[in-house]
Amino acid sequence: MAQAVIFPKLGQTMEEGAIVKWLKKVGDPVAKGDILFEIETDKANLEVESFFEGVLLKIYVKEGITVPCNTVVGYVGQAGEKVSDVAPKLESASAPAPAAPTSTPAAAPAKASAAPVAVAAPAPVRSAPVVATVAAPVATVERLVISPRAKALAKDACINPARIKGSGPNGRIVEKDVQSYLETSGYTALRVTPAAKRLASEKQVDLLTVRGSGDGGRIMVEDVERMLKQKPVAMSRMRQVIARRLVESKQNIPHFYVTVKADITDLMTYRAELKAKGINYSVNDFVLEAVILSLTEFPTVNSFTDGSSVTWRGDVDLGMAVSIDTGLVVPVIKAAQTLTMKELNAQTKALGEKARLGKLTPDEMIGSSFTVSNMGMMNVDQFTAIINPGEAGILAVSTGRQVPAVVKGEIKIRTIMAMTLSADHRIVDGSMGAQFANAIRSKLEDVELWKSLV
Amino acid sequence: MYDFDVIVIGAGPGGYPAAIRAAQLGKKTAIIEKEAFGGTCLNWGCIPTKTLIASAERFHHASHSELFGVSVKGVSFDYAKMVARKCEVVTKLTTGIQFLLKSNGVEMVKGVARFEGPNRLSVVQPDGSTRWLSATSIIIAAGSDSAMPGFLPKAKNVVESRSFLDMTALPKSLFILGGGVIGCEFACMAAALGTKVTIVEMLEDIVMILDKDVRRVLCKRMESLGVTILTGAPLTAIESNKTGVTGLYKEQKLEAELLLVAVGRKPNTAALDLARAGVKVDERGMIPVNDQCRTNVSSIFAVGDLVTGSIQLAHAATQQGVVAAEAAAGHPSRQEKICPSCIFTTPEIGLVGLTETKATQLGLKVKTAAFPFAALGKAMAAGETDGFVKWVADPVTGQLLGAQAIGGHATDLISEAALAIRNELTIDEIGKTIHCHPTLAEAWMEAAHAFHGECIHLPKRS
Repeated sequence: MAQAVIFPKLGQTMEEGAIVKWLKKVGDPVAKGDILFEIETDKANLEVESFFEGVLLKIYVKEGITVPCNTVVGYVGQAGEKVSDVAPKLESASAPAPAAPTSTPAAAPAKASAAPVAVAAPAPVRSAPVVATVAAPVATVERLVISPRAKALAKDACINPARIKGSGPNGRIVEKDVQSYLETSGYTALRVTPAAKRLASEKQVDLLTVRGSGDGGRIMVEDVERMLKQKPVAMSRMRQVIARRLVESKQNIPHFYVTVKADITDLMTYRAELKAKGINYSVNDFVLEAVILSLTEFPTVNSFTDGSSVTWRGDVDLGMAVSIDTGLVVPVIKAAQTLTMKELNAQTKALGEKARLGKLTPDEMIGSSFTVSNMGMMNVDQFTAIINPGEAGILAVSTGRQVPAVVKGEIKIRTIMAMTLSADHRIVDGSMGAQFANAIRSKLEDVELWKSLV
Repeated sequence: MYDFDVIVIGAGPGGYPAAIRAAQLGKKTAIIEKEAFGGTCLNWGCIPTKTLIASAERFHHASHSELFGVSVKGVSFDYAKMVARKCEVVTKLTTGIQFLLKSNGVEMVKGVARFEGPNRLSVVQPDGSTRWLSATSIIIAAGSDSAMPGFLPKAKNVVESRSFLDMTALPKSLFILGGGVIGCEFACMAAALGTKVTIVEMLEDIVMILDKDVRRVLCKRMESLGVTILTGAPLTAIESNKTGVTGLYKEQKLEAELLLVAVGRKPNTAALDLARAGVKVDERGMIPVNDQCRTNVSSIFAVGDLVTGSIQLAHAATQQGVVAAEAAAGHPSRQEKICPSCIFTTPEIGLVGLTETKATQLGLKVKTAAFPFAALGKAMAAGETDGFVKWVADPVTGQLLGAQAIGGHATDLISEAALAIRNELTIDEIGKTIHCHPTLAEAWMEAAHAFHGECIHLPKRS
């Protein structure tokens, strides 16, 4: 019997998603464990594999269409088996999902229940339906009143008739209007290569908007292609979510910034010593640990406000911003205050790797209480970051540089690293922000502390 | 102040037009040449080979005229005389160039140039003295030489194209190492004059820049001329002895009187001491330039064979030379993007723009259309029915993106395609353009009709 392929629900908060790419075509043989399609949620792209063997009989949901979780997207069965031409109604959410994401860790639900605070936190991704923002930019649909002859002339000339003022009844554009527009608009002086004109006609590019780069300003194919590239293109769901959340944060959270510069010379020496012994820690590991320790000292910075109430958090669920090809993801190190340096290092590495491979599950990316954005590898002097909604602060870590510094009244070459805290000023006062930032700094500068932690 | 506005290093097809153009633009110009005015093109490349090929074709036609109703008895040739004629043509042309340079007021300096700084050169002249020159702009047009890989024996019977052209007798048998453009041109010329030619090419086929259908026609015709084409493996264990050269191709022992090495050309940049001027070169010693032929040093330009990514053809160098001279004079000139190639094999080949193979590699969707000379009246009349012309076009707009022609006069025919492609014509404009009848150029129009399946002179495809 043919088996329904279902759009999986991959996380507690996941309600919908889209198939980015079908990797099998209708009629393709499917083995158990074959990747059927890739899906895109507002958090990540994931591969979905088949639980059944047979032939892909039917595809109901094409690429790029957002559907609710548990929607039947196709059927796998024996070749020649008949299946409905119309997709069956939504299965109930409790139905077993016969398709499983390859990267969902088996322990995911258990983990979520083990950290109830994180789940209870209002996940910002839930705040607005993503569908509303997915709509591609649409051209104005105002109806143009134009005679057929005028329309044909405008089409032939590759110009947009909407820019022409009509002289007929009710402003109807007639052929004469197009002719005089062509004469007065500079159109007659345009020089266009035949291929460029054909392309403009094919892609409905108004030639009057194209700047020519050929001999004597002649419009060439590459000029039309340049115009085509300027047409708006819908952003990926991930980019849209990033955009929405950034705007939400900047508009609603009064950001307050404080910068400190940590002298990490001694820490770097110590790190090199460790490395010589075969113990490898990145600078980021030390920064994260310093932040975790400081957050336990300043619980206010580890909480958040909606403007009328403050929510405290029992755990430090540390988000770490990871830049990937398609944008930015923030995997979360859950209950980070319970981890040793070694465990922290292992988790950071694992999450970073998963992020780069696009294998993070939605549950691994929600519920952070504070975030660190480290651009140390990007050769920057200093920058400020935007707070993730639902948190009270974010730390922007810049590149450590050798600079002349005053040490006990003498100028020495020291490695200095700038860090800027962005804090929600509604709950974090200036003095607290300063104290918190300095707490991180003093920890990074205290090698004895690290000797006790490593 | 500097001695000159513009100094050009090298008086080949890139250098001398650059010098003349700079002078035309009112710049005080000098040109430095270490060897012979006209460079490789006039002395050891385009012109001498084409002169010898013309002689070979004459002989071939004379001895193959029965089909045309012409009987010529006792046809023979004197290769030494052919070479003498070649020298005469070369002398006439190189003298002409010196006259042109002189009439434009370009100062000609003989000697070997090297950089002493971004605006300064020293020239070791033939008498051993050194002359110091400086200029606001310097155009490097020093060209290239045949590459002679180190594994080859250094012997009289192992030569590159330049020494081959100076020989006054042809060998009875000839190995050609390298089935590129140069190797194939020499192969056709020597084979037409009765030499037993064997080409050994390491790649899977000869002249890989061409589409497979074009290469097939070339191989077939070359083989009918008696050329043996061995591909897909190198010639190894090359040894030179008194009677000839021996080598191994896939365990097969081969022997010939002479080995012609045609494995590519290396840029003449090492002796220029470019580092002293701060000019960067790539790992092959070639100079990267921008679309104005400017190097990383703003006052120094480079044109021709020694430029990174150049197609190493005289006309490409000439265009670049003119652009560089104009840019040096402050004009906003840019290098042309479309440059046709010509191959003087039997039959001739012309190539411009994108090939079908290249389009596939780039992942571009293209549509092609071809027309065979065998279906063309003029080709039949002239007895030149081998080959075809082929368009490569955009399937949506019909824009002409590339063309190849193989057959009689293909190197002349390709210019029409170059004009069409440069000016972004579509297949329809070619189809609508009336072409003279009966001419070989009609093939372009017929192929354009074939693009839409509207060809009058081809049978209907089912």
